[in-house]
Amino acid sequence: MDAGEREIFIEGHPCVVVDSVRMRYRVASSAASDTDADTAKPRFLRRAVNKPHMVTVQALNELSLVVERGESVGIIGRNGSGKSTLMKIISGQSKPTSGAVYASSTPIMLGVNAALVQDLSGDQNVILGCLAMGMSRAEVDEKFNSIVELSGLEKSIHLPMKSYSSGMASRLRFAIAASVDPEILLVDEALNTGDAQFGDRSKLRMDELREQAGCVFLVSHSLDTIKAMCTRVIWLDKGDLIMDDEPEIAIKAYQDFTRHLSKGNNISAAKILDDAKANLVATEVRGRSSRRSRG
Amino acid sequence: MSADSAIDPEPVAVQPLSVDMRRLTRVGSRPNFLDYLVQLWDFRQFIFYDARARVQSGTRRDRLGSAWLLLNPIFNGLTYFLIFGLLLKTSRGVENYVGYLVVGIFVFQFSSGAITSGARSIRSNKSIVQAFNFPRAALPIGANVRELLSAVPLMLAMLLIVVVLPPAENITWLWVLVVPAILLQSLFNLGVGLILARVISRVHDVTHLLPFALRAWMYGSAIFYTYERFVTHPQMLAAIKLNPLFNVIDIIRDCVLYARVPQWQSWAILAAWALGALAVGLVYFWKGEESYGRG
Repeated sequence: MDAGEREIFIEGHPCVVVDSVRMRYRVASSAASDTDADTAKPRFLRRAVNKPHMVTVQALNELSLVVERGESVGIIGRNGSGKSTLMKIISGQSKPTSGAVYASSTPIMLGVNAALVQDLSGDQNVILGCLAMGMSRAEVDEKFNSIVELSGLEKSIHLPMKSYSSGMASRLRFAIAASVDPEILLVDEALNTGDAQFGDRSKLRMDELREQAGCVFLVSHSLDTIKAMCTRVIWLDKGDLIMDDEPEIAIKAYQDFTRHLSKGNNISAAKILDDAKANLVATEVRGRSSRRSRG
Repeated sequence: MSADSAIDPEPVAVQPLSVDMRRLTRVGSRPNFLDYLVQLWDFRQFIFYDARARVQSGTRRDRLGSAWLLLNPIFNGLTYFLIFGLLLKTSRGVENYVGYLVVGIFVFQFSSGAITSGARSIRSNKSIVQAFNFPRAALPIGANVRELLSAVPLMLAMLLIVVVLPPAENITWLWVLVVPAILLQSLFNLGVGLILARVISRVHDVTHLLPFALRAWMYGSAIFYTYERFVTHPQMLAAIKLNPLFNVIDIIRDCVLYARVPQWQSWAILAAWALGALAVGLVYFWKGEESYGRG
């Protein structure tokens, strides 16, 4: 069981260290509560107090990762496996229930779902967004044209955001986020929105960014994309880390798993999962503040 | 669904990794207070751009546009004049009652508007907060700068009304003192807004209470009556007169209506409130820095 108390000593400075992160949500459930205490109350009383039945969702079980410079990490798994939760935690958008993420610089998440300021026009949003990322006004002016060009909005850039279609808004959002050259880049798969023309342009910019970035995290349902771009793949299922391996190995296991599931062979699928888990070597982060290993 | 596999958080093998943590910082961590202030200064362009862009867009939906910035307090003043001046006759013993009322309402409205938008700035900008990493206090500060900018035409209109409506007042050098009074008031608004912004980001219900609290405050600030008429107990009167907003209004009335040099006590009380609220607000807001926009 024990992989030996032999510590592996990692030279140099890693980009991202995820240290025993765990995420738990408390959310309201619309399902009727099954506790007796609640049903004892008359229905109208329960409605009046309007306290929904709360359930705890384990979005991510304890997980540790060390990602070094030059690695591109693909994250795969079924819906609800905790991929996006992990991305949000690494980018700092959500705070883990326990544990912490350490990074060598601020990670930048390229997603398209965040809306900007609805009442302002597109160009005002570009300036505001860039300033919010810490650029100076001169830098914004320098990059303004390339951002507008990447967004492909042309004249519509002067209209208020609230008149934009969701596709237009997400293109603008992407163009703004892609205007910095981050050291740590997180990409959520939702980028596949937008028309073909924008798709090509954004892919080009993404490739550029990925080449410049120190390390990349990529969530995608397209296994081909992951295979082509990543040097390491993490498979999550229901909040558990299942595999952390070379892309070919992890993707093959995941494909076997989903093939069995789609045929209805739940038992053999579960066996693949269990096998993978049994072979997993979990990481334990031991921070050091000196160059030498402690023992 | 793989029902059987879910039961096994079995102790899998663990590999300790020794990681050099010296160059890493925790994602989303809060800087120390002085660094925080420096960061805010670095984001000054963001703050001013945010304020300026939104002053223009704030009333774009209305047909009369920015005129509502003026019409609003004028209608307010008219209402109070009808009810308190003509109907309830609280005007007795007040020299230039119309001017007295107008100064009270315009000045109070500046505070109530600024406190409300400062308090809501984090909640209403949740998408920006989640999308970008910047010191969050930039939003309440931006909201207050915006209110200060839109207070300029408001104050000019107030002075115009005082000059035009009978009994017309003469313009004196004392009018210049309106500027420092409004600036101190603005610092006070910012301090209160910062405190409320953190409270509201935690407990959203407070937004519903805010209008009531502000209305109670307004009725307590001697806007359409004088304290002397209703409060006879001298200690009680002194305590009521510590109200910071009453002091701003009193200072401006002295300068604009009665051509009196405001008492130094009023300035002292106002300055103490302004600087005190700002200091408490900044520290309190900074302590919650990691919690904004999450969950």
